[in-house]
Amino acid sequence: MFINILSVSVAIAFLVIVLELVRRQRLKEQYSLLWILFSIVLLIVSWNVSLMEWIADQLGVKYAPAVLFLFGLLFCFSLILHLTIVITKLTSQVLRLSQEVAILKAREALYGKNN
Amino acid sequence: MKTLIIIPAYNEEGSIASVIADIRRHVPETDIVVINDGSTDRTEEIAKASGASVLTMPYNVGIGGGMQTGYIYAKMQGYDVAVQMDADGQHPAKELPKLIEQASRYDLVIGSRYVKSTSYRSPHMRRIGMIFFSQLVSLITRQRFTDTTSGFRAAGRKVINLYASYYPIDYPEVESLVYLKRHGCKITEVSTEMQRRQAGRSSITPARSVYYMVKVTLSVIMSAMRYNRTAVIK
Repeated sequence: MFINILSVSVAIAFLVIVLELVRRQRLKEQYSLLWILFSIVLLIVSWNVSLMEWIADQLGVKYAPAVLFLFGLLFCFSLILHLTIVITKLTSQVLRLSQEVAILKAREALYGKNN
Repeated sequence: MKTLIIIPAYNEEGSIASVIADIRRHVPETDIVVINDGSTDRTEEIAKASGASVLTMPYNVGIGGGMQTGYIYAKMQGYDVAVQMDADGQHPAKELPKLIEQASRYDLVIGSRYVKSTSYRSPHMRRIGMIFFSQLVSLITRQRFTDTTSGFRAAGRKVINLYASYYPIDYPEVESLVYLKRHGCKITEVSTEMQRRQAGRSSITPARSVYYMVKVTLSVIMSAMRYNRTAVIK
């Protein structure tokens, strides 16, 4: 099954890329754990064809490799949701910072005049 | 009472000077702070030359973020009353004494166009939206509000502190009322005249009004559903 060979190589490539990004400090360990977990799961599922067929059978999926796509998609959705949560938090932190910077800058300008 | 007038301004060079002059004429004892929200025109210079303090945001943070900066400033400087008003000349300064006077009795005083019939007339669609929000907020807070979208308000210390810790981001007026009621604030409306804007453009275009309706409705409902519901229900 070609899809299995492909997804095994993709999974390995993924794992290598994620680890390399962490090594170069381009990706935080904290966020990389999720990606490493994902790569490993992808690796196991694509390596073990009978496992995938068993899962497909349990889920009532006729075409076994579709299970790969299903899990891939679900993972993507949860990751995107997680990222929007992170962005929301960052946005409010940046807003607070800019508000305090604006106030401090005005105050500094005032002190500069007095001295 | 130490009073601060907060004026959020984004590219309002055409009207800011006359707004400040108008305030000076009617309530000379108050301090004025202009929140220059990343303007690309001469708003900052003109406001400074008119004698107001100016806080310049490092980039455009939107009306909610700008407004909150004013309240954080009011809290830091220990003001008793903070009044917010528009930079476009919609809110006449001659109505300020009315708002400030009531602020000693209430936590928040809203200048309303609709308590008594005033000469102000809004466009049809906007009027429908305003009636909808009045009904929604009145239903949730069990208090009648006629002008929930009014940005002409005076806040006492309690509200200054609440606003400094949380203020809604993009269309804050309606949601902030529910937020305050949830924290047990006493709010009143007083009748004020309002004018058409003198210069610049309104930020609410027809295309954005649908987003406005949906976003504000969601915010209001979510705000009503946040933990201490007792303040809303009682």
